[in-house]
Amino acid sequence: MDDDGLVARVAAGDDTALRELFSRHAPWLAARLRAVLPAAEVEDVLQETFLAVWRGAGRYRPAGAAGGWLWGIARRQAALLLRRRGPAAAGLPDVVTAGGREAGDPAEVALARADLAAAVAALGPPGAPDREVWRLLYEEDRPVAEVAVLLGVPPGTVKSRAHRARRLLRAALRGGAAAEGGSR
Amino acid sequence: MSDMNAGLPPGASAPWATAPPDVDLGRVWTGVAAQVWRRDPGRVERLAGRLLRSPGLARALVATPSLLLGWIIATAVVLAVGVVATLGTGTPYVALCAPALAAAGIAYAYGPGIDPAFELSRTMAVGDRMVLLVRTLAVFGLNAALGLAASAASGVAAALTFGWLVPMTAACAIALAAATLARSANVGVAAGIAGWVIMLLAGRATLGQYTAAITDAALVFPYLLFAACCCAVALFASRISRGTS
Amino acid sequence: MNVDITDLTRRFGRTQAVAGVSLQAGAGVFGLLGPNGAGKTSLLRMMATVLPPTSGRMRLLDRDPRSYAPRREIRRRLGYLPQNLGYYPGFTVAEFVEYFALLKDIPPGQVARAVAASIEHVDLGDKARTKLRTLSGGMLRRVGIAQAIVNGPELLLLDEPTAGLDPEQRVSFRALLRDLGQRATVIVSTHLVEDVGAACTEVALMDAGKIVFHGTPDELTARGEGSGAAGDAPLERGYSAVLAAARSVTAARS
Repeated sequence: MDDDGLVARVAAGDDTALRELFSRHAPWLAARLRAVLPAAEVEDVLQETFLAVWRGAGRYRPAGAAGGWLWGIARRQAALLLRRRGPAAAGLPDVVTAGGREAGDPAEVALARADLAAAVAALGPPGAPDREVWRLLYEEDRPVAEVAVLLGVPPGTVKSRAHRARRLLRAALRGGAAAEGGSR
Repeated sequence: MSDMNAGLPPGASAPWATAPPDVDLGRVWTGVAAQVWRRDPGRVERLAGRLLRSPGLARALVATPSLLLGWIIATAVVLAVGVVATLGTGTPYVALCAPALAAAGIAYAYGPGIDPAFELSRTMAVGDRMVLLVRTLAVFGLNAALGLAASAASGVAAALTFGWLVPMTAACAIALAAATLARSANVGVAAGIAGWVIMLLAGRATLGQYTAAITDAALVFPYLLFAACCCAVALFASRISRGTS
Repeated sequence: MNVDITDLTRRFGRTQAVAGVSLQAGAGVFGLLGPNGAGKTSLLRMMATVLPPTSGRMRLLDRDPRSYAPRREIRRRLGYLPQNLGYYPGFTVAEFVEYFALLKDIPPGQVARAVAASIEHVDLGDKARTKLRTLSGGMLRRVGIAQAIVNGPELLLLDEPTAGLDPEQRVSFRALLRDLGQRATVIVSTHLVEDVGAACTEVALMDAGKIVFHGTPDELTARGEGSGAAGDAPLERGYSAVLAAARSVTAARS
């Protein structure tokens, strides 16, 4: 059964559907949250997330985007927890300040990092062409020429892959950093 | 036994979506399941738990077969019919029927006859003698209350309005003793009803009317003595466990 | 020592179901083997405080079960699975386990979690809200195991727990036994020798109300070697050898 069907079953009060949803989605949700929170908090957030799913499944509109919906709930629960316990609970050594703007709400910033990581994951598995280009060009800040040499492809290819990567990322971030994985 | 931490959902193509090793997904699911599967005790049970100072005893009380809503409604309906019949014909049907109804309720309250998990119940921290006491008192009290209400509504003489409480005690006691000895609720009901019918017939034979079994004051002490003996039998029978290895 | 029994006997009328059993058991899995009628169930019932002994001394979890208050304490820390466990057909799995969790005096705040954990532990998580009348015999047995472990018992008594379980479930069950045996005393009574032998740290063999062998599974196997006793598997041969020896001794005496 697909995710939309499962959520519909959960809305109808079927706890075995919730169990199936949990076994499918809890692992990647846990991984994404773990990038932002310590393990004990991840467990608490996951528990609250799936309880919220159990209570609120009726509000889901089937659109094939159950993963994004789940992440949205998890994100909200994580933000609630971080606000309750203070930014220290995030366990992050540093807070990202993006180009001159204020850090803002540490909880939001921490979650924004998780969103970005998820969007990057949408580019493909580590080692995939688009993702490698992204990593070398933007995360490691290398010049195009160096990246071309490292990847063994012409600079033109690097530029077009970078263009595609930016397009995919914009779409992924706009779409709310949706589903798990992303490779098709 | 099931490994919730296995990580990969079936059909996923994302190896990097495996759960982090220090997150115990099994524990998380147990926490979710605890809330999803929990039962809400309800007001009656919560109140009983506070009064009895034992949530387990309250749960055992609320689960009494003859205290389930269906049974209570059936008893009330029978008594209501009795009220109507009494008002119509003048024969105090409520007083005649109430002891038998109560005896049936008692037989179906406790014991190996109606509790399939009886052996297990006897190993519980909430002792089965306590459960016996609380259940029989509750069934008796409820039947007495319903009976009194019906009796008052049917407008008969005072002796008949209250007089059946003592015979009811005796009928309940024999039902309990029989059910516990024979390990069968049906035997208990049969004994309770048969005993009561015999008393009614004897009253008719010796004193000329069925209600003699209720109104004859000389019977009060024998009834109570009989009830006490039956209770002792029931207590004794619930001590011994028969069976071989 | 969670179980300390000396010279325990139990009579029913003229039959001696248990004829002088002495046993000490600490943490670990203890197998109680023997043919039907050997007295295993009566012994288990006495340890479960269902049946009072006719004579002998028994201390469970360092308490004397003859007095009310210690007996109640023992029962809070006890798990018991009878040979024939009736069930309430209209109850769901969760309701059944919760019923006994409450009767074991588990504080109400902890009940929900304990029930969920024990149901998942016996792999009935997807049946938690189904009614008992719809379940197979093997599943009902697992429900029985779940109620026995719901209070995290220090003394767990299981009478024929593997009845109705398929081979794969028996493997999981043995793993469960080993896991529970780390903290608690688990006493498993069974007439299926190989079934439990692998999971037990100690084994006792009962016949006609007495213990005729007490040792490790390996020692039982050793008794069977070279004796020409019947049996398809090593433990079974040891079992047969010990029984045969015990019975010939009894025959020689009488």
